[in-house]
Amino acid sequence: MNDDNLIIYEEEIEKIDSILARMLKGAEAKCALLVDKDGHLITRQGFTHSLDTTALAALLAGSFASTKEIARLVGESEFSVLFHQGKKDHIHMSLVGDRSILAVIFDDRTTIGMVRLYAKETASELAKIFASLKSRAHSGGPGLTDEFTASAGHKLDDIFQD
Amino acid sequence: MVSINYAAREVTCKIVYYGPGLSGKTTNLLYVHKKVPPTTRGKMISLATEADRTLYFDFLPINIGAINGFAAKFQLYTVPGQVYYNATRKLVLRGVDGLVFVADSQAEKMDENIESLTNLKENLAEYGYNIDDLPIVIQYNKRDLTGILSLPELEAKLNPSGWKYFEAEAVTGKGVFDTLKMIIKLVLEKAKNSRNTPQVSREPVPANQAQAETPAAAQDSVTQQPVTAGVMATDAMAVRQAVYNANTRSSSQEEEGEPAVEKEVEYGMLKESKAIDEPLGSQFPANSDAGAVSESEIEGESQRPFPGSTTSRILRRERRITVSDFQPASRGNETPPYRGHFAGEAIRKDSAPVQQLPTPIMAPAQRIIKKKQGFFKRLFGIK
Repeated sequence: MNDDNLIIYEEEIEKIDSILARMLKGAEAKCALLVDKDGHLITRQGFTHSLDTTALAALLAGSFASTKEIARLVGESEFSVLFHQGKKDHIHMSLVGDRSILAVIFDDRTTIGMVRLYAKETASELAKIFASLKSRAHSGGPGLTDEFTASAGHKLDDIFQD
Repeated sequence: MVSINYAAREVTCKIVYYGPGLSGKTTNLLYVHKKVPPTTRGKMISLATEADRTLYFDFLPINIGAINGFAAKFQLYTVPGQVYYNATRKLVLRGVDGLVFVADSQAEKMDENIESLTNLKENLAEYGYNIDDLPIVIQYNKRDLTGILSLPELEAKLNPSGWKYFEAEAVTGKGVFDTLKMIIKLVLEKAKNSRNTPQVSREPVPANQAQAETPAAAQDSVTQQPVTAGVMATDAMAVRQAVYNANTRSSSQEEEGEPAVEKEVEYGMLKESKAIDEPLGSQFPANSDAGAVSESEIEGESQRPFPGSTTSRILRRERRITVSDFQPASRGNETPPYRGHFAGEAIRKDSAPVQQLPTPIMAPAQRIIKKKQGFFKRLFGIK
C-alpha cells in the first residue's frame, strides 16, 4: 500500500510551477492549486497568500471525492471536471492524471471557457510529468533515516504535553 | 500514503480517527486543537450538521516543525461515525497513513464498536488496504463513565491482533496526546521501513521557510460551520473580497473609457477601499505597465499592494515602490517567472525558452585587413 508514496522532487515542482504560472497568465485566473486526491497540497501558484491552502486542499479533495461517489451512483466512473460558481469567485477543478486535481480560482475578469481551455491543456501537460514521476518513484532509495524518526519522537514529547 | 515534497521540504502524513458514532473522535481533535500551541496547529475545520454531528469529516493540520530540514506535517481527520454516513466515511480513508480507532467503553456500545471495526476493515479492503499492514492504535474512550467494560474484556473483543491501546477520557484530555504521539511514531516508523521512501537529506534550510509553512497557525478559532454555509475562513476572505471588489470595479470602469473616480463618487463606492481613495488613479489606463505585473509574482507578503491595483499604480507613480517590490522573497533556485506569453496568445506546446544568440564579437578578419592596409601603406609609403 505504501508502495505508491507521493514523492515530489524540486525539479518537477519547478516545471509544474512554470506550467501553472503560464496557465494563470493565459487564462487570467487568480490562482491555481495542485492537490493530491488524498488532500495533500502539491503546489500552488498565483495570488494565494490570503488563502488557507492546507485546508482548501483538504476540502477540494473531499469535494472531488464525494463527487466521484455521486458519479458512481449515476453510473459514471468519475466526473473529470467540477465547477463551483460563486458571486465573484469561481473554482474550476479538473482531474490531472489519475491522482491529482488542478483547482483554478478565478473571477469575472476572465471566463469559464478560457479557464476550461487552459486547464485542459495544462492538465495534459501535468499528467505527463506525473507519469514520469511515478516511474521515478519506483526506483527510490532507502527510507527515512533513524535520526529523523528519533528526533521526531523527542519533538512530539515537547509539543504534546498535557 | 506519506507525501514527501522536496520543493517545499515537507513530509505530510494522513491520520484518520475512526470509530462508532459519539465515541469521541471529534472531541479528541478539539482537545488537540485546544492544547497545542497555535504555532503548531492550523485551523480546525468541521463539516458538521446543525446538531454538531460530523457529516463528512473534521480536519486539523499539525506541523511539528522542521526535523533534519524537513517540516513534518500531520493531517488529522475524523470520520462521521453514524452507520448512515458510510459513503462519506469511506472517502476519508483514501490515502490514510495511520488509524486511531476510538472505541466507546460503555457496555451497551460494544456492538457498535464491533460493527464499526468490521466496517473499517471492509472500507479499507475497498481501497485495497489490509488493516494489519497499517499502523493502528486503539483508544478506549470514556473511561470516566460508569457502566463500562473492563480493559481485558475490551481487549478480548476488539483487539485480537494486539495493537497498541490507550485508555482515555477525551473530554478531559486524558490519554489523547498519548494516543496521538503513538500513532505518529508508528506512522513514521512505517514510512521509514517503506522501501520507496527516499532518504531525507540533511541540508540546512533557511529558518523562515519552516516558519512560513504554518500560514493558518495564528488563527485561534475553531470553525464549526453547518454545511449550508461556506467553509472558508471568513476574515481573510472578507479582506480579499474588498480589495478585489475595488480593483475589478475600477478596472472595468476604466475600460469603458469613463473617468473611474467620478463614477465611484457618484455611486458612493469610495468608502469601501483605500485603494480607490486617490483621485490620481483615474489618470492611468488599465493596460498601463503597472497592470502588467504578474499576479503570480506577489505571493509572499500580504502587506504589498495588489499588483495592477490603483494603489500600486499610484505608489509606483510616486516612486514609492518599484517593480522589484513585487518580486517574491527568494526561495533559492526558483524558476524565473514565465514572461514569454501574454493573454490572448495561444499556449505554445513547445515552451522551450528562446535560444539566445551568441553576442557578435568584432570579426577578426576586419582587424587583419586593417592591419594589412596599414602594412601596405607603410610599405609603399602611402598616407
